Amino acid sequence: MMKKLSLFLMVLFVSVSHLAFSQKTVSGKVSDATNGKPLEGVTVSVKGTSVGTSTNADGSFSFVIPEKAATLVFSSVGFREKEVAVSANLSMIQLTPSSGDLGEVVVVGYGTTLKKELTGTVARVKGADVANMPVPNLNQALQGRAAGVFVESENGKVGEGIKVRIRGSGSVNSSNQPLYVVDGIPLSGGFAGASTADINFNDIESFEILKDAAAAAIYGSRAANGVVIITTKRGKAGKTKFNLGAQFGENTPTNKRGFLNAQEYIDYFRQAGRGAAEYHMRPDGGDNWFGFNDLAEAYTYMDNVVIGRLNRYSGWSPFRGGKDWRTGEVNTNWEDLAFQKGNTNQLELSAAGGNDKTRFYMAGNINNQDGILVANKFQRMSARLNLDHQVNNWLKIGMNTSLTKTTRNQVPLDNAFSTPMQAVALAPITPVRDSLGMLFDRPVATYYNPLIEVEETIRKSSAYRNQGSIFADVKLAQNLTFHTDLGLDMVQQTSENWWGPRTLVGAATAEQKGEADSRWFRNTRWMTNNYFSYKTTFGEKHKLDATAGFAFENVEISDVYADGQDFPDIALKTLASTATPSDIDGTRSENNLRSYFGRANYVYDGKYLLGLSVRNDADSRFGTNYKAGTFWSASLAWIMSDEKFMQGITWLSYLKPRASYGTSGNNSGLGFYQARTQYGAQTYGTASGLGVSNFGNDDLRWETTKMLNIGLEFGVFNNRLTGEFEWYDKRTEDMLLNVPVTSVSGTTSVYGNVGGMSNKGIELTLNSVNVASRNLRWTTSLNLAKNKNTLTKLDGEQKEILPNDARFANALIVGKPIGVFYAPKFLGANPENGDPMFRKADGTTTREYDEAEKTIIGDPNPDWIAGLTNTVSWKGLELSVLFQGVFGNQVQDGAGGFMSASADWFDNQTRDQLNAWQKKGDVTMVPQARLNWFGDFASPSISSRYVYDADYVRLKNITLGYNIPQKTMAKIGLTSARVYVSGVNLLTFTKYPGWDPEVNTDYRSGNVNQGSDFYAAPQIKSWVFGLNLGF
Amino acid sequence: MTKKISISLLVAATLFASSCDKKLNLQDPQAIDASTALSTDDRVKKVLIGNYAALGSAALYGGDVLWMSELLASDGELTWVGTFPDPRQIWGKNMLVNNSNAFATYAAAYRVIYNSNNILANLSVVKTADQPKVEGEAKFLRAMAYFELVKFFGEKPYVAGSTTTLKGVPIITTPGPSAPQSTEYNLPRASVEAVYQQVIQDLTDAESKLPNTNGVYANKPSAQLALARVYLQQAKYTEARDAANRCITAALANGFSLVSSYGAAFNNAANTREDLFAMQYNLVSGTNSCFTYFSTGTYGARDGDIEVTDKHMNKYAAGDTRKDLFFFDAGAYRVGKWRDNYRNVKVFRLAEAYLTRAECNARLNQNAATVAADVKLIRDRAGLPEIAAPTLAQILNERELELAFEGQGIWDAKRLKLSVDGRSWDDPKLTFPMPLRERNINGGLDQNPGYN
Repeated sequence: MMKKLSLFLMVLFVSVSHLAFSQKTVSGKVSDATNGKPLEGVTVSVKGTSVGTSTNADGSFSFVIPEKAATLVFSSVGFREKEVAVSANLSMIQLTPSSGDLGEVVVVGYGTTLKKELTGTVARVKGADVANMPVPNLNQALQGRAAGVFVESENGKVGEGIKVRIRGSGSVNSSNQPLYVVDGIPLSGGFAGASTADINFNDIESFEILKDAAAAAIYGSRAANGVVIITTKRGKAGKTKFNLGAQFGENTPTNKRGFLNAQEYIDYFRQAGRGAAEYHMRPDGGDNWFGFNDLAEAYTYMDNVVIGRLNRYSGWSPFRGGKDWRTGEVNTNWEDLAFQKGNTNQLELSAAGGNDKTRFYMAGNINNQDGILVANKFQRMSARLNLDHQVNNWLKIGMNTSLTKTTRNQVPLDNAFSTPMQAVALAPITPVRDSLGMLFDRPVATYYNPLIEVEETIRKSSAYRNQGSIFADVKLAQNLTFHTDLGLDMVQQTSENWWGPRTLVGAATAEQKGEADSRWFRNTRWMTNNYFSYKTTFGEKHKLDATAGFAFENVEISDVYADGQDFPDIALKTLASTATPSDIDGTRSENNLRSYFGRANYVYDGKYLLGLSVRNDADSRFGTNYKAGTFWSASLAWIMSDEKFMQGITWLSYLKPRASYGTSGNNSGLGFYQARTQYGAQTYGTASGLGVSNFGNDDLRWETTKMLNIGLEFGVFNNRLTGEFEWYDKRTEDMLLNVPVTSVSGTTSVYGNVGGMSNKGIELTLNSVNVASRNLRWTTSLNLAKNKNTLTKLDGEQKEILPNDARFANALIVGKPIGVFYAPKFLGANPENGDPMFRKADGTTTREYDEAEKTIIGDPNPDWIAGLTNTVSWKGLELSVLFQGVFGNQVQDGAGGFMSASADWFDNQTRDQLNAWQKKGDVTMVPQARLNWFGDFASPSISSRYVYDADYVRLKNITLGYNIPQKTMAKIGLTSARVYVSGVNLLTFTKYPGWDPEVNTDYRSGNVNQGSDFYAAPQIKSWVFGLNLGF
Repeated sequence: MTKKISISLLVAATLFASSCDKKLNLQDPQAIDASTALSTDDRVKKVLIGNYAALGSAALYGGDVLWMSELLASDGELTWVGTFPDPRQIWGKNMLVNNSNAFATYAAAYRVIYNSNNILANLSVVKTADQPKVEGEAKFLRAMAYFELVKFFGEKPYVAGSTTTLKGVPIITTPGPSAPQSTEYNLPRASVEAVYQQVIQDLTDAESKLPNTNGVYANKPSAQLALARVYLQQAKYTEARDAANRCITAALANGFSLVSSYGAAFNNAANTREDLFAMQYNLVSGTNSCFTYFSTGTYGARDGDIEVTDKHMNKYAAGDTRKDLFFFDAGAYRVGKWRDNYRNVKVFRLAEAYLTRAECNARLNQNAATVAADVKLIRDRAGLPEIAAPTLAQILNERELELAFEGQGIWDAKRLKLSVDGRSWDDPKLTFPMPLRERNINGGLDQNPGYN
């Protein structure tokens, strides 16, 4: 393989000869049209040839061009390409910043290209568009901004997990998250929180989201879920520009759903007690196995049961400080107590500048975000230095480095009694504290009081990330450069937890007094990318841009864990004080990846575009029969609007159909050593032994995704309205699944590449300049995408893997989308007797859950996602409004069986339960309020009763900024000043009755387990006031 | 100039890239590659230790084969009241072909066999002096796995006859292909006779090669008692008697004997002198599944899934101290042998050898004095008066009470052709179904009668 590549490169070197012709010298100067400042590094080339140069720090250029050259082309990242006649005055060339238009330079894998010459599908989001958004994670900032990019925060815990799907889910067992590449280095993961939260996105110049095979295939075995290329800011020559940014504001929940108040709780549960008695006495119900004489006696019995509980939950005893529930003195809103008023603030200072030899960008940032849940907090401190140095006319070297510390004060997973949101289950008649000021716990509190965790636990995780690289660009010839870099991404995470003696964990046995654990985790990735880039034009009409090279990458993960119980004093919280060391673990693992890659883009006559890319990945995790995978793409595009026959259509400014097909892989489902059969420690009694720890498969390899993409780019009315339409058909083959094998082999299943998945969809992006006058500019950007996911194959024999869970119903069914809800259909309360009604296979109804027919009752995968941005600027004022929407998906509320359960048990109930059936003839979706005291009926399990449409439209971001006129600012020595207010998630429009329709409860979130709510915190609503000063 | 730089860059890049290719074969620091896991004396011995853990997994002697045998044999003396449906099916003799306990045991047994096959295939790297011991242990473990398989999954008990045509289980005695998905593993069921022959051959080899004492690992007396159990299943009383006799002789000569009180024989964290072979459980290795199901929440188990009925309790004569071991908790009598957590699981207690020898001698009408002495030994400890000339029925009664709920229930019932819960000893429902998923994979694997 390497041999072939070398040969290919050699041919490139030798075969391209320079044609001799007469020449002349031109010179001039380029500046920024917005501020008149000189622009450095602008590429100046003769149109239709490879002859070119770039501007110096003072914006000047001078080079020799062919005598007959007519037009010069000026291009630079972030600016519109400009064509100027050679004969024109070249001393005052001005470039205007691009706004997503065709002259824009976009970053692609191992290089850049002109948007116009792109043959793949790349969505670009400028860093400036998301800078200063008051969210901890860049993915939250990207939500709604690019077509086909679905972003979902699991819940409202600050800085935690986020699901990102580019063109749907392609896998059951591998990750479906995109690959993030920061300045050429893939982002390494940790064990807690999202890695993307480690990045200060104010440092980011642009995000390029590679969606189709033509764009992504060059990232090979990791590109199947799409690639997000993150490019950070770099300095420009000129006066050093300082920027001071500050913002502060507030975080609150998007919604509180509301529970029964004290009086309602009392009334409802007394009613439910009677409901239990009535059901118990029914011959077709409990059939009075308890042996009451009549209904009146059963009523009395249940009245006393409920009164006993109300007494208990109200802590009614003279010495504990409880209150008599009859007086209505206590009305605790436990939902409110789960939340805190969160503050958010950010402080940032950056400096950028340099001279013609050396340029730099440096920035420091501190971002504090209090969560909305009590004791939840996120903090990120980051520093970055990006350096470029031009050694001489053929060598440029540089360095990027960033240091980040991300600290999270976490709260327990959503399914833990100790998580703040589970406080909603407690009775509103329960006072918060007793007469000694202590929080009430069981038995007064219905369940463990999660507020105890606030007082007696520490759950702190810290991530220390050091990411950076050194690089060199060598100009080997006029058209040929060589890039080499050495990169490092090291994330060191620690978690230090402590549970006091009153907590659930810290009091697991009577003797145990507290527990603590500590985990140290390090994930180090070092890598090198080396590639040649060759750009040339030959003849009049041929333009070639080729890149070829190789990369090597090493990942090493170390993980140490220790746990101890029984601490002498509440002040002693570290492991040093443990009396009983109870658990210890330590592992190390390593992975290597060797890649060859290449890309060639060919343009004929400026109109006909061909793109080819290839990558060969050899990964140490692959089985011996498949040590390396080759991925490729081919793409075609045609700038039709440049054809003569289109010139007459004046309203049509731009039309470019394109098509691509290619393959990419997903290696993430494979453990580093999963392909190997190997033996690990197997202790017997107290003796160390060895046993098979993994049955490997020599055929284990990447999952392959084949994608066909047809796109159309267009611009009308002099490009006032531009857009892109995409259609894709994405098929995953060789999907990793556990394949059953006979036990006679020594094991019962072995991982194999056997399954299949399909995603088909369309995407539409529209950008329009609605008003562009001297003072007023109004632009609109719309993105819209539809994806249809289908599981096409499991192991070949199984057709479905059905849920076996009382709370959630995610299933894998061939021919259906991944994770559909498969459960009985609930038809409301039986008007006759208030029993729940489920649909049976024969169309009749039953109250028995187990007799009901299970069918597909919902789909967690959205049909449509959309984003709409309007930006209006008037003089110094700028208003930007982003609406984001998700449509056609459902959410299952796994906690419904507890809190929307017709008072099945004493959990406080959601307010809709007040609509319970009460008398014969009542038509309602809520069955009779009925305590399950006698255990004579089945408690509510997952059914369509707890499945809701979760479409929503959200005012994702609104920012109003004012740029104070420069004249005013100059007086106090400032070059610029901007004040702004910005809000996130300010409004949500949805029919979802729970806290928030954007949800996937953290404790079970996965590829299949989607669309689940379970005491998940609502999303965070933020507003901030901010200030940016330039000097 | 630039051409030279280009070429040297290319050369450097090529060299570097090719050196990277060599780094693509990485070893898991937590594991040893299968190709070398059995390459040295030490490693083979460590794999052997690991195979004891496999035999002691919950699905085998970690408890399941014991309580499953007892639930099958319940005959109104045990009631399953737990919520788990799979043990309930076993107790109700109404198993579904996808019963998860049946499958778990099937799979766990073949894992033991897999390990033993690998050990035996690599015996040559073991120090010559240690080879017999390693071979003996590996064969002992393999024999135990096949013995449980053929008892649970064999079409009918051995004593039903026609053993050469009745279907047993697939036999594999050498390491198969390294790929588990190889169709070479899709073997047909060997006959019941063939499986028994395999078991006897392995145990005979084990007996000759194992040392008399071997720490907590397999020793000569345990192999001898295992053989006695196998011959009893075959109703070969001379062979069973001789094996039990050899067991007792070897055991007594090497420090084994009955512990003084019956209660002291159970709930032990370490082997007693009565334990010829027991699976080792402790805080680190975890909980045995007999404790999980037989014991109660009071002792850290579940809520008391298995209850003992009066029908069993009434079987004990007045003064029988073995009855005292039962405890009343969570509304029912409980089997005290499994009361405490993190305790060893008895596989072979010396007491069984005396009872087997006595039964066989009685059946063969030989050595009457030994019969009386053997039974006296057992009864003395139980606090019961001596029987001068025990009848076969008396010996079997003694055996039932002495070994109650230790896993011999259904196997004794079958060989003695007793009816269980109204079902004949050879009722198809007293045999496990071949696991559905095994038959889905291997179409050539026939199902047992009574199941689909």
